Amino acid sequence: MTVASSVKQCLASLKGAEASLSSLTSRTQDDESRRTLHEAMMEVNEIVTDLKKRIGELEREEPQYKGF
Amino acid sequence: MPEWLQVVLRSLLFLTGLFATTKLLGKRQLSQLSFFEYVTGITIGSIGGELVTGVEKNIMHGLLGLAIFAGIPFLVGFISLKNKAFRDFMEGRGVVFIKNGKIMEENLKKERYTIDELLELLRKKDVFQVSDVEFAVLEAAGDLSILLKKENQPLTPKDLNLQVASIKEPQTVIMDGKILDEPLSTINQSRNWLNTELDKLGVTIENVFLGQVDSYGQLTVDLFDDKIEVPPPTEMPLLLATMKKCQADLELFALGTEKEEAKDMYSKNSEKLQKVIDKVEHILKG
Repeated sequence: MTVASSVKQCLASLKGAEASLSSLTSRTQDDESRRTLHEAMMEVNEIVTDLKKRIGELEREEPQYKGF
Repeated sequence: MPEWLQVVLRSLLFLTGLFATTKLLGKRQLSQLSFFEYVTGITIGSIGGELVTGVEKNIMHGLLGLAIFAGIPFLVGFISLKNKAFRDFMEGRGVVFIKNGKIMEENLKKERYTIDELLELLRKKDVFQVSDVEFAVLEAAGDLSILLKKENQPLTPKDLNLQVASIKEPQTVIMDGKILDEPLSTINQSRNWLNTELDKLGVTIENVFLGQVDSYGQLTVDLFDDKIEVPPPTEMPLLLATMKKCQADLELFALGTEKEEAKDMYSKNSEKLQKVIDKVEHILKG
């Protein structure tokens, strides 16, 4: 497996985690837990953004790994 | 009117009458009896019993007696609500039996309790050694409330400096195979959502005896057919595992890359994710 594809895999997992956190946030009844989960979701989202940028760079450097 | 019919009619009358009276006097009459409630409770009962079977007696006299015995406690209860001194007089006060770990012999004597009775009350609260108790008080209703010494108190998460996820009361959304709409709307969910969750568990609604949703929106069910194993909810542990895996991946990427800029980015994000994990772990572990 190439570096680009493992980074992409990691990105996909993180996106999944973000979605789970988001759905958990909407279902949670307790206010404090909801806030914590929401903050976690926002932070995971920032990491996702960073990784996306990095994948863009990787694809530019090694165009043969473009796409999936 | 034959006598038996009178007995039947009186029974019905007093049954409804006594039911209404007890309703009026409130739940206190049932759970904890103060001196006053004890006395009136007994008397109301015997007036009722006497009149139901004693057909030769005048029913109006009985009703009058009942009204007085129900009315005065109602009045007393009302004044007690407003006035502390009156309340103490009518309902009695707690008496301290153990203070600073020492038995108050005078108070025991005053309430005419023997040491055996005190030990018995303590044992009912699972205390077998008097020296374990810091403070104990005999309540007006006759039961003993105790405060154990700190070292004998059960361990709590606070003692261990443990962070635990706070919870709200779970809602029962399915009973006997039927969906209850009111609790479902309390947690802002629809029948649609519930059906999806049931599909995820692979069970049909008809087979569900009891279904509850916890404060994190996880559905747990008990089935009519006890041979079928229902999987426990996996979403939260799975989420935690995914985040941990990603965190490890990011660290690996940081080690693997030679570009300084990317290295920084990876290690910064792996630390960030670790912080996120630390923050939500206590919730996700449930």
